[in-house]
Amino acid sequence: MSNELHARAERLIAQERVEEIPATEREWLVKHLDDCEACAAVAASTEQALASLRGVSVELPRGLASRTQLRVRVRADELREHAPKRSLLWAITAMSWALGVATAPWVWRGFSWIGEHTGAPKPLWEMGFVLWWAIPASIAAVAVILERKGEQQNI
Amino acid sequence: MMDDDTKELVRGLKRRDPELLDRLIERYQHRLFRYLVHLTGNRERAEDFFQETWVRVLERGHQYEGKWKFETWLFAISRNLVIDWQRRKKPASLDELMEPREDSTPFEPAIAAEESPLAQAIQRESECDVQISMKQLPVIYREVLLLRFQEEMGLEEIAVVMSTPLSTVKSRLYRGLEELRKSMTEARA
Repeated sequence: MSNELHARAERLIAQERVEEIPATEREWLVKHLDDCEACAAVAASTEQALASLRGVSVELPRGLASRTQLRVRVRADELREHAPKRSLLWAITAMSWALGVATAPWVWRGFSWIGEHTGAPKPLWEMGFVLWWAIPASIAAVAVILERKGEQQNI
Repeated sequence: MMDDDTKELVRGLKRRDPELLDRLIERYQHRLFRYLVHLTGNRERAEDFFQETWVRVLERGHQYEGKWKFETWLFAISRNLVIDWQRRKKPASLDELMEPREDSTPFEPAIAAEESPLAQAIQRESECDVQISMKQLPVIYREVLLLRFQEEMGLEEIAVVMSTPLSTVKSRLYRGLEELRKSMTEARA
């Protein structure tokens, strides 16, 4: 028997255990192993090695799970304590919005007055008014982003 | 499509549910510890990484999307911790992971208490052979063999755990299997 046939058999012996092999290849391999003692020994030793590997178990250290559970709970408490207090932030933002809505007519007049006295074009002072409205939301967004960054750094 | 259990797991990890974490630790303790012992070659170190892995699961739980099985994600986390530690220890090179460890201490395999003394002796001998052979293998081969034949992971899952192309996983498996077989045959001879 040629070396090529043995090499093919050895390749298929490994391939069969790692992934699927086509039925025709399997048939060829079975036939070859019946005829070739050396390749049959390779197949047997491969199977034996894998059986031994599958049979290996490692003794778990005593109390490892409970110690880990405790450590995880302590860390969970720490994370909860350092969790950002969003409720206060949202309350301040909501209050700013409410104040903004309530004072909008006066603020509009104020911007209009500034525009007239400085000679600023109308779109410019109108944009100033819109920006003034957007300030609370912008501050809230920046605060949330900073908090998230801090949270990730803690991790 | 995610099944209900996976959805529940994703939600629980997002809200850092301690009860869920307790159950997961109980469920995966043997597999994770065994993987870490084989990966690091040292029980004490494996114990540290075991705890660190679960703390990381708590902290990064929101990143688990249920795309892969939980154990695939879990093993990937623990593997990354080991690699980070290896990098810190030896920043210039990761080659050590490729070579058999000189300083690693052996570990005793567990034998079921109810087995007969003869069966225990045979099993211990067989396990010792495979332990010695495995220790002689470079970590990159040892790891794929463990994930495939002990953890019975699919090739794609192994590729995810190892952040390695599928073709690399396959070639390492072929090579590792061949090395293990030869080493065990020599040990028995």
